[in-house]
Amino acid sequence: MYLPQSSYPIALGMTLVIFAALGAASAYDPETLWAPGDLSLSHRERACMACHEPFRGATSARCRSCHTPAAFQAAPAAVAEPHLVMDERQSCRSCHIEHRGRSAGLTFGALPAATAVNPHSDFIFRVTGAASCRDCHAAGGKGAHYGLLDNQVVRQLVARGKGAHGPGRFADCLRCHAGGHLDGPRP
Amino acid sequence: MAPMSPLIRRALLVALAVLAAVAGAWSLEQWLSLRPERPFAHTASGHLMGWAGLLMILAVLGYPARKYRLQGRRWSRRWFLVHLVCGTAGPLLILLHSGIHLHALVPMLALGMLGLIVVSGIVGQSLHYLALRSVNQQRQALRHQGMAEDDIDRRLRALASSEEAFRLWQAVHGPATVVFLGLSLLHIVGALYLGGF
Repeated sequence: MYLPQSSYPIALGMTLVIFAALGAASAYDPETLWAPGDLSLSHRERACMACHEPFRGATSARCRSCHTPAAFQAAPAAVAEPHLVMDERQSCRSCHIEHRGRSAGLTFGALPAATAVNPHSDFIFRVTGAASCRDCHAAGGKGAHYGLLDNQVVRQLVARGKGAHGPGRFADCLRCHAGGHLDGPRP
Repeated sequence: MAPMSPLIRRALLVALAVLAAVAGAWSLEQWLSLRPERPFAHTASGHLMGWAGLLMILAVLGYPARKYRLQGRRWSRRWFLVHLVCGTAGPLLILLHSGIHLHALVPMLALGMLGLIVVSGIVGQSLHYLALRSVNQQRQALRHQGMAEDDIDRRLRALASSEEAFRLWQAVHGPATVVFLGLSLLHIVGALYLGGF
């Protein structure tokens, strides 16, 4: 008995049946078939194409169709300010991630996921020209200063403070620079 | 304790080697995942592993293509080596590309089918090795009995023809490749459609 020759048409038929079954199943449960991980609770009710553009992936334009600048302006400052500044510089995916599980954090960076808000407010990005947390913090940095790097951006910031800036004094820029202005009151 | 038969010993060794290779590839992927929120498999480098693995798997097809062209007139040892090397390295790269982050059904089916192809390939190779060994042992035994070479060849040809039964594994190995290529195509198109270039 020598089966191989006769089993190729069967395999081809099987492939077509699988294609048809997967195509039909895609209409009912696309996440199970295609997603690299579970969607977070925030997005689980959304259809794939609410966030994804064909052959372009998840785009900032799709994010902004729900997360509008107006919505951010109405949000608490810790949420609003980074978004309004970051939007000008980079895509949402630079800081946000999806398909990491139902209860996974959507924001990543140098800060712990549970408190992934920018304590510096947008101000730090404006004055340093930094585009992401990683311009000043090491990935996964822990401890008092969350892996603060010793690089050009940080050194310039320290120098600009004329002694007022330094580790331990960066955490809340707006405490001194009220309103997010460079010429705010100094201690 | 009774000694293990060569078949069982080989099967155990192969199973251990396969498990070690899978565990090794997935451990390497974990080690390469520098950022917990973005595993290596989901980075551009992880995707590159997928493309490299696919290229190697496509190179595997050179051997059956060559065999088909020569119609059994000659055995292409070089292409067979390519088949073995790429058939081992390609799936390992695919494991590196997938990591242990198995979620979507389409790539999981493709990976399962790839596993079936690899295992059936190993089984086939082992069966051929054992059959060849058996034929050689028989030849030695018949020579000791003083049988003429022509008679030995006739007897062994009968034995070899029963070896065709071993080729049943090919009924799985080749056709599973067709299903795997179909599923891979679906996975690639789906990933590009939803994930972008």
